Amino acid sequence: MKKLTLAAFGASLFASTALADDVTLTMWTESSNAPEAVFATEFSEMDNGITIDVREVRFDDLVAETLRAFATQSNPDIIAIDNPDHAAFASRGAFLDLTPYVEQSDQIDMDNYFDGPRSSLTWDDGVFGIPRASNTIALYYNKDMFRAAGLNPDSPPATWDELYEAAKALTDPDNDVYGIAFSAKASEEGTFQFLPWAQMAGGSFDNINADGVSEALDLWKAFFDEGLTSPDTLTRGQWDSTGTFNGGNAAMAISGPWELGRMASDAQFDWGVTLLPVPEQGAPRASALGDFNLAVFANTENPDAAFSFLEYADSQAERVWPEFTRMPSRKDIELAPTGNEKIDAAAPVFVEQLQYARNRGPHPEWPRISKAIQDAFQSALTGQKGAQEALDDAQGQIDRILN
Amino acid sequence: MNRLMTSLRDGIGFDTLLIFAALAYLMAFAGLPLIYNIIISFQQVDMFSLGSLFHQAVGFENYAAVFHDPLAWRVLVNTVVFTLASVFFQFTIGFAFALFFNQKFPGATWFRGLFLAGWVMPGLVVGVLWNWLLSGDFGVINYVLLSLGLISEPIFWRSDVDYSLIAVILANIWYGMPFNMILLAVGLAAIPDDLYEAAELDGANAVQRFFTITLPMMRATIGAVLALGIIFTLQQFDLFAAITSGGPAGSSTVAQYWSWQLSFREFDFGRGAVISVIMIIVVLGVSAIYVRSTRAETRL
Repeated sequence: MKKLTLAAFGASLFASTALADDVTLTMWTESSNAPEAVFATEFSEMDNGITIDVREVRFDDLVAETLRAFATQSNPDIIAIDNPDHAAFASRGAFLDLTPYVEQSDQIDMDNYFDGPRSSLTWDDGVFGIPRASNTIALYYNKDMFRAAGLNPDSPPATWDELYEAAKALTDPDNDVYGIAFSAKASEEGTFQFLPWAQMAGGSFDNINADGVSEALDLWKAFFDEGLTSPDTLTRGQWDSTGTFNGGNAAMAISGPWELGRMASDAQFDWGVTLLPVPEQGAPRASALGDFNLAVFANTENPDAAFSFLEYADSQAERVWPEFTRMPSRKDIELAPTGNEKIDAAAPVFVEQLQYARNRGPHPEWPRISKAIQDAFQSALTGQKGAQEALDDAQGQIDRILN
Repeated sequence: MNRLMTSLRDGIGFDTLLIFAALAYLMAFAGLPLIYNIIISFQQVDMFSLGSLFHQAVGFENYAAVFHDPLAWRVLVNTVVFTLASVFFQFTIGFAFALFFNQKFPGATWFRGLFLAGWVMPGLVVGVLWNWLLSGDFGVINYVLLSLGLISEPIFWRSDVDYSLIAVILANIWYGMPFNMILLAVGLAAIPDDLYEAAELDGANAVQRFFTITLPMMRATIGAVLALGIIFTLQQFDLFAAITSGGPAGSSTVAQYWSWQLSFREFDFGRGAVISVIMIIVVLGVSAIYVRSTRAETRL
């Protein structure tokens, strides 16, 4: 079935675009196992005269590396870029405005995309890419440990108070078990994890010191001060933190659907996923909107060929869940069963959580806004500043950036 | 014309030619970037004006911003502590090992060579190794200290603001010590044996021989090793990137790491350049010491 659509797509592309010569495009991405890298290999093997060279660039270096390349005009034709970084490039004219291409495309329909990912790549009414996938974060929990601690594994924590109590009950220093694992690292990952808490409490990236946000930070601090989370949560990313959950050293973990594949094979216990707990019953939900967009650089010599790859990637969106445990950014695609019971049970939770996912930005100066937020939670969690003071300082910095 | 050719072939002209070739190379590959760095420290350079040749001049605004940054004082203290502690321990431990391996025992040179294994590894690899060793929950160092009863609960080296800088210093001492050792060993080998024999005949004991022969004879080497040590320590970047990323809450951020963070994390190249300029001035001072001590060496 997959082969058939693939062949049909190749044929239609071959018929519609008359490409005289063979074209080689370059694409940068964070991983050669990512969907777009796999799609690029398939696309290159099709009989369409287009070859895509994929270069893997470490996630942490992707923006800096791309900037340097762009400064010297040695940038790739296509890039997969983390969605909060998209606006910086789009607003400065580095990315190609795809509006005329999208209007003529039979494959890509911008109305099919969720609002979050769509707005992350829109700037001044122009469309500067397509989302490759979306993700968000939710609460993983170890059902065996819930049972052992006398908690009901079918009613995981739904509010912050319940989460705190559960973390306390589950923490077991004698057996090297922490109640909860997450990431408060001073990097974009930390912002990704903290911002939803601030948003649930009524804050936002441009109103980070709103009433209530300090309570979120106080709860995080309680996790640290009372030994409910590893002190290394301050310096560990999400992947490593969730690794301790898989290894049985943490009873709960906050992370995204990208963990599902590894967890299904590594975790030797019964686990489940639930929505991020809210401040109190009935409070508005929020979560982070993550994952990458595909964009074409404005200085590419082959915009048509590049766009035809974006069309191909979009046509394969159904595969990103079963093959990559990433969530399609398209409203019209339902998550197909993967055959793994636990992953399939997690799917509806992430689908629901994604509805509450909010963008970081979009703002061209996002890295600096993000840095201010990181400074706030790090200085509060290490006890250098009070929660409110840290957030007020961050707000001061953010105001200077925004104005 | 003929005289000019002769002079170029062998004479003052040839010397001048060589000097200019070296100067041109230095100018192109070290001088221009340095000057450019100084220029952009007075300009506003962000993500997208990086590629253009001319930027908006902002006078001393970047300098004021860096000095008024809440992190500035902490970074200064951290840099001084990191540099002095690293160089002091690298040097003393390195000197001790150099003296030890200078004793004539079987396999001495072999073992000395083996010590270099750590130094030839890339910094990032060393950083990742120490990252594991220093891990709070399951790190080897904590395990050893706990087993020996030296500490009662694990130290979170990387995540505790009181220990994060010490963690990187430990790794850096281990990383830089063999280099100190090998340079000092070369210096030791250059001291003629008959000096020691004569002193021994005169009744000087080991301590006296060390302070009256070894140290004075090693003065030039020691000056060079210390100067190089300071320069290398000020360049140390990989260990910070791999172990603490300058955190938590900036508690292990040093000047070189901060400069990189400003330039390539916040994309404020002007402020990043300010820190580089200040570091260049410091390094120039240290280089002057280095040049002086090596000049003394050639006179020796």
